[in-house]
Amino acid sequence: MMRSADNPKIRDLVRRLLVSEEAEASPSQENIQAVSRVCDKLRRPFATLAGVAGFRSLLARALTLAKQESPDLDGWEVKSDGSLEGLKGDAAESGAVLIANLIGLMTTFIGESLTLRLLHDVWPDVLGSEMKFEGNQSK
Amino acid sequence: MNEQNRVKINKLPTGVPGLDEILGGGLPEFSFNIIAGAPGCGKTTLAHQFIFANATAERPALYFTVLGEPAMKMLRYQQQFSFFDAAKLNNAVRFVNLSQDLVERGLQGVLDEISKRVEAANPSIVVVDSFRTVLRSEMHEGRDMAVQTFVQQLALLLTSWEATTFLIGEYSESELRDNPVFTVSDGLLWLFQQVDRNSVVRKMQVMKLRGQASVPGLHTFRITEDGLQAFSRTLGLVGQRKTFSRVKRLSMGIPALDEMMGGGLPEGDSLLIAGSSGTGKSLIATQFLAAGIRASEPGIAAVFEERPNEYTARASEFGLDLQTPLAEGKLEVIYLRPLDLSVDEMMQEILDAVKRTGAKRLVIDSLAGFEMALAPAFRADFRESLYRMIFALTAIGITILSTLEMPETFTELAFSSYSISFLTDDIIRMRYVEIDGELCQIMMVVKMRRTAHSRDIRKYKITTDGIVVGERLKNYVDLITGIPQPLSVLGSEELLLNRKV
Repeated sequence: MMRSADNPKIRDLVRRLLVSEEAEASPSQENIQAVSRVCDKLRRPFATLAGVAGFRSLLARALTLAKQESPDLDGWEVKSDGSLEGLKGDAAESGAVLIANLIGLMTTFIGESLTLRLLHDVWPDVLGSEMKFEGNQSK
Repeated sequence: MNEQNRVKINKLPTGVPGLDEILGGGLPEFSFNIIAGAPGCGKTTLAHQFIFANATAERPALYFTVLGEPAMKMLRYQQQFSFFDAAKLNNAVRFVNLSQDLVERGLQGVLDEISKRVEAANPSIVVVDSFRTVLRSEMHEGRDMAVQTFVQQLALLLTSWEATTFLIGEYSESELRDNPVFTVSDGLLWLFQQVDRNSVVRKMQVMKLRGQASVPGLHTFRITEDGLQAFSRTLGLVGQRKTFSRVKRLSMGIPALDEMMGGGLPEGDSLLIAGSSGTGKSLIATQFLAAGIRASEPGIAAVFEERPNEYTARASEFGLDLQTPLAEGKLEVIYLRPLDLSVDEMMQEILDAVKRTGAKRLVIDSLAGFEMALAPAFRADFRESLYRMIFALTAIGITILSTLEMPETFTELAFSSYSISFLTDDIIRMRYVEIDGELCQIMMVVKMRRTAHSRDIRKYKITTDGIVVGERLKNYVDLITGIPQPLSVLGSEELLLNRKV
């Protein structure tokens, strides 16, 4: 069974989110900072919806799943407030896998529509108004 | 105070079919309400139906979740309902989790956060789910005043901000006493889930509703993919029975029977056809419907023992075309046999069919089948439910014919094993008798309220043209026992004795 995180549209969206955040990051650590910024920006609206503990548990699950695909993520941890720590190395690929898993889990639980709305509220320029993740299991 | 000076309280639609009627027209705007009940009885779903029916982007709904069921899971499941409109999420409907505020700062933290959000969003609806979880954190000795103050402040805040509020809680009925939440609330809606043998029955009760008259008592409800659907005990049919200035007689489709009934069945009456198996009760009912179709009076058949196509096929064997009116919408055959029905659901089905077809005639074939289709919990109240149903339907001018299978005894003539004869205006009894070594069938009009009728006991036959009523059986006594005796074999003394008795 294909996981939501493997959906090419989600992967493409994640790539665009990271590019958008890299522009704000310092040149030497742009990859790591972009991953961290995306997670932080997602944390706020999701914590409002499901609580900090809800976001933390979802990110921790996403990290576990992502580590199976990207061993580079070893050493990355989720703190109790839902932020990431231990980020190191070139996070361009592995960070994208982590965020794709996070968005995939959000889609699984709260549905595609609400997930896209949350993302759109944070990154209105990155998400087109007509965007849809086709082929996932949300309503 | 006269009508003009009174504060007008708007009533909001609940989004739950049937519930507005139970509440007396909808939920009072700006009211502070509690939805209580055990886990799994539909509290959250009810609140969701309300918010999706009423929230707008300008006046959104704020749905506060606190500990209890994780918001992620709640959203996942609630999205399966048809009323859940994803386009309203984060816009007209906003979910806010207060778990951390409660854990870190207690009741004051929750109140502060709700105040902040309410002032920022200007919501028309506020839901706190689960409110009991909020209070439980402070429900210990010496903190009663803190809880009472919190509830008071919350009610004041939300009412001032013109929000209609729902507090959802897993309460038990024993908690009704001395609970500040129930004292402060304007409305208290209790949901129940009862298990009886293998069936589950859901019921709701409006225990309190300030400012308007709700329908008292327990009302059945069902949860389907469309959410809750409630069935008012009265189904809105609480008016006086419809009276006709000149009683119209409806033909039974059997001229000789019409004659026995003094010209046919009075419009708006409830007729019971009682008899043992094979006596032709269902056939009379079918002929009654067919006669209605011929007279441009649409009909409904509520059948429990055969499917609609079987029903029309059986009618065609007697030369009665029910298939055409069925296709034209002049006849509806309702087949219900889920074994966990409530009478109220059945009533709703019938009323919906009445609206669709403009039906004037209703056949319930049979009462025994109807009772079997009910959940066991409802069977105990069958008589009372039947009374409500017959009263409500005849009140809107529907003429009802019900069939009832009776055990055949050869020593007495019982009118109804259900003791429901008092519920019906008219009764026709059909039975077997042995005459000259032949098993024959007889019928008699036992009772007709407010009208003169024939006292004849008449023989009848079931033919391919339907029921054919014969002549009065004049030369026998004890016909109603099933074992009549010819007058000719009785001596004059016996005859005299029989007459005296």
